[in-house]
Amino acid sequence: MAVAIDKLVTPTNSDYKAVTPHPKIAVGLGIVGLMIAMAVAVIALVAANDLESGNSAQLLAIAFGLQTTALVTVKVAIAAALVGILVRLWLRIESVKVALGALQPTEHGVGPTLGDVHTQYGDATVTKNVPATLPIHKMARTMWFPMVAMGPMFVIAGLVTSIVWANNVGTSTGIGASGWTQGLQFLGEGLVLAGISFLLGSILGSLREGGAEVQKALGLNVITLKMPATAKAFVALMAAGLMVSMVQFGLYVYTVIGLNADSFAEIAPWWAWMGPLRELGLALLLAGIVLALATIANVLGFQFSRIRSIAATGE
Amino acid sequence: MTTLTIDDFTTETTAQAPDRILPQKAGKALWAPMFAMSLVGFAVGMGLAIARSNMISSGDDVLQIAAYGQYISAAMFFGFAMVFAAISFAIAKILGEFRVGGGSVQEAAHSDVKTLKMPGTAKGFLIGMMMAMMIILTAVVLHIFAGVAIAGGGVDAILAEQWTIWLEAARRFGTVLYLFSIMLGLITIVKVIQFQSFRIRQVAHTE
Repeated sequence: MAVAIDKLVTPTNSDYKAVTPHPKIAVGLGIVGLMIAMAVAVIALVAANDLESGNSAQLLAIAFGLQTTALVTVKVAIAAALVGILVRLWLRIESVKVALGALQPTEHGVGPTLGDVHTQYGDATVTKNVPATLPIHKMARTMWFPMVAMGPMFVIAGLVTSIVWANNVGTSTGIGASGWTQGLQFLGEGLVLAGISFLLGSILGSLREGGAEVQKALGLNVITLKMPATAKAFVALMAAGLMVSMVQFGLYVYTVIGLNADSFAEIAPWWAWMGPLRELGLALLLAGIVLALATIANVLGFQFSRIRSIAATGE
Repeated sequence: MTTLTIDDFTTETTAQAPDRILPQKAGKALWAPMFAMSLVGFAVGMGLAIARSNMISSGDDVLQIAAYGQYISAAMFFGFAMVFAAISFAIAKILGEFRVGGGSVQEAAHSDVKTLKMPGTAKGFLIGMMMAMMIILTAVVLHIFAGVAIAGGGVDAILAEQWTIWLEAARRFGTVLYLFSIMLGLITIVKVIQFQSFRIRQVAHTE
């Protein structure tokens, strides 16, 4: 399984000139998501202008299910673009290895002495060999695919329950279906965002591993950045966001099964804070993604400084 | 299998490594403040949601409860607007690292510096981001106006419900548009990496 997932994020051949399909897949999915969102906006406008008839609540129930489907479609498009970045990164590593081999002056040392060093990009470690893969990077490489695959399944299940909700507005069945729709779809969204976070973790892992491989191949000691505070906070926010997404699902299940669905008054106080809670889960995941991207920018800055130094001085 | 050559990329040539362009400078400076503001928005939204839940439990004034609903949406979506802005700025920061870093490597190799001109996906990224930001922030401001109007008692229930639906539709569409533009930003990164794989080999005469 892990091998099959690895194949998705590694180039099928080592030709850096080859065009990869990921950008087209991402744009295609993104346009589908955008079109669903436009349809939802039209449905909402129709519902708003037709509030006094009974159809409005039905339309809004369907719109809710479709809206989350649009969001998750665009998020899967983002995941496809990230897979494209991962594939391209491996080809870039190969290009840098080949090019630096030619650019590196023939007379050179092995670089800094072994141990800890400080760089303008943060603390780093100098080792003789390529450092071992971090457990979080191994986990990211294994987990991104199940998350990205499972998320849409929950969202589609929620879309089905939104149809049940629309056909039973104002009844206990409708209230129950509404709870299931919200719980399932926001869990699905959370899982896809967690998948995106794991893909960003995989990109950080590839930069670390690839950068080290290039230095080792050129006969140099390997300088690797230590995990910065932004990366640690990214992992913490991602774990917290995923947990909140699971907890909100559990709470929705509890309110529709454990409480009296005939009396919306009993459920209403719960749902009043659970709506923002489910959004908070996504917010934490998105906040983690910000920090992951900032970490990637920092690592890239460090890598370019290493490449520049090797091209200019040989070490 | 379709392949590209370096001539398939539109580039500009300079003698020295180029600086970041304006959106990349903004990205470098603004990602952290946007991130911090998003956390404030989410914290305020959650606090208001807990307060509203208590108001419902204790049977408070219906108008106040409805007004709080508007304020919660305003706070949470202010947070989302800021977190999406932080993501977009972080992507711009990454693109800036590629531009400056790629240029400096070519300069160190005593070569002309070739830099990819801004591709269509990057322009789409910027336009989409700005449009989405405007849509969501307009909805946030209107949610606050709606909340104040509802709390003052000058709005009938049907109109208040209509406002809620319109604003929800607008901010949700804005969110999808924001995500779409972020996807375009990521595709731009794919293109930049692809160009740099070609260019570094060209500089080293190892194509």
